[in-house]
Amino acid sequence: MPTHGRRPRRSSRRQWPGAVFVAPHMLMLALFMLVPTVYAVYTSLFTSRLIGGNRFSGLANYVTVMHSTVFWSGVGRVLLFAVIQVPVTIALAFAFAAIFDAGIVPFSRFFRTIFFMPFAVPGVVASVMWSFLLLPGFGPYAEFAKALGLGNVNFFSSGLILPTIILIVIWEWTGYNMTILFTSLKSIPREVTEAAIMEGASLWTIIVRIKLPMVIPSIVTLVFLNAVGALQLFTEPSILAAFQPQAISFGFTPSLFVYNTAVGSGQYNLGAAAAIVLAVIIGLVSVGAFALTRRRGEAK
Amino acid sequence: MTRQKVAPEQVPLRLYGVTPVTRIALTIATCLFGVFILAPLLWLLINATKNQANVYGSFGFWFSGPFTLFSNIRALGQDISGAGIFVVWLKNTMLYAVVGAVGATLLSALAGYGFSRYRFRGSNALFFLVMATLLVPITSIALPLFLVYAKVGLVNSIWGMILPSMVSIVGIVLMRTFMDASVPNDLIEAARLDGASELGIFIRIALPLSVPGLMTVLLLTVVAVWNNYFLPLVIFSKNSLYPLTVGLSSLSQAAETGSKADLVPILITGGLVTVLPLIALFLILERYFRGGMLQGSTTG
Repeated sequence: MPTHGRRPRRSSRRQWPGAVFVAPHMLMLALFMLVPTVYAVYTSLFTSRLIGGNRFSGLANYVTVMHSTVFWSGVGRVLLFAVIQVPVTIALAFAFAAIFDAGIVPFSRFFRTIFFMPFAVPGVVASVMWSFLLLPGFGPYAEFAKALGLGNVNFFSSGLILPTIILIVIWEWTGYNMTILFTSLKSIPREVTEAAIMEGASLWTIIVRIKLPMVIPSIVTLVFLNAVGALQLFTEPSILAAFQPQAISFGFTPSLFVYNTAVGSGQYNLGAAAAIVLAVIIGLVSVGAFALTRRRGEAK
Repeated sequence: MTRQKVAPEQVPLRLYGVTPVTRIALTIATCLFGVFILAPLLWLLINATKNQANVYGSFGFWFSGPFTLFSNIRALGQDISGAGIFVVWLKNTMLYAVVGAVGATLLSALAGYGFSRYRFRGSNALFFLVMATLLVPITSIALPLFLVYAKVGLVNSIWGMILPSMVSIVGIVLMRTFMDASVPNDLIEAARLDGASELGIFIRIALPLSVPGLMTVLLLTVVAVWNNYFLPLVIFSKNSLYPLTVGLSSLSQAAETGSKADLVPILITGGLVTVLPLIALFLILERYFRGGMLQGSTTG
């Protein structure tokens, strides 16, 4: 009886502290994410002129971005990059996670630690290291390629620059993805695997037909995170540009386009418009990928 | 969380019926990938001991010439030919990482607790909003932030770097999951009956019970701020405010444009000094990284 009578009072008492606990973070989120976003949309609608200062120009900046072949070739490049880098990274990550999970390879703890290490390396340092390693003519990897009879490989040539960046990003992120997939695989109950073994399933069947489907939710999350990261590609090409300026153009990736337009050339309004177009593209890709995984999930 | 505890032991390898040939082949593949991951780090370590001529002139994976590690390190304390002072960048990075990460952890703990233990009007919608911001590209936030900073005078202010670093979406999600799992409601109710205040319950019960979660968020945010490149690149134009990432990239630009090629050993040694603290942190506190990412991935 007493509890019954207290219930509405308690729930009203329990409303406001929750909001108070959440408020500081929400305030920061509003100040440092929402306000800038709204301001960027506002700014993108203006054009600064030498005479007359900022003038409202409607969607003119967006029209410029939409017609910019440089911007769209950058978008095409990061899409191509994502289409290759994300599956390769996650496939490698899953393969090693599954190998370690099954206990096939000795010293798996040691290997897991090694593979995860690049997580502690900033993209700037990773790019600097790889720039030296891949240096045409001097770098050890170029010498290695020569020893293999591949001739003088220039990893920074226009044909190889994208694969080179893919290589660097795979180096940086495979271990991180592997760690998450490894912990997901570890959470599969032992009985599931044992039952499959009793029915005569091979290791390959167990990994591909039983374990892989069970970690699909983790894989979907990782595909999202990797893809959003890939579409924003900035650090690696911008550092490589210092070493090989001819390899990385002004709009090599959309993020570089945004940075070079706004900070490099001082065209903030145009840069803001490009940043918003990029955000919309990433949003669309995410929603599309989400719908796709949803539909495939339902079809099963 | 609960699923993690189900499989404490591994299924014995012999049950899979893996042939020795498969086992050896997979071990070799793992070793090769391990070499791929370790090689750049080894290169960094070795080449931090060389002078400029030997970085280019000698085999990358072995020591050569005079051992100049200590003079390279000493050079980090001097103004590097106009590029700035490495030691100042290190100090800045530590300041940004520590203050930013402690702030992010506290705010995430408050918000995570609020979302985990209270239902208030709009709490679900608010949490959905938080999750949605996970997909917002950093690129499209950094530039708008810069535009807002230019208006309110936060350009070239350390707060312009620290305050946005306190917003950690992953932190909230992790803390909510962690509090859901490890703070029993009975304990909270009992404390309420004893007359404890809501804030008192949070500080004396929820926080101590979620120390492993707090550690994870702290470490993940330290790494995130330490390795952040785009935001400080956009908002700082004074090299005395640079963190290591931006400092190193300006150093690499100076070193690679030819005129200051003698900076190359300093660049490499600086890279090593940037990476070492995080690798040490990661090796010492490895279990928190692993545990935290598990929770992050299973929520997603």
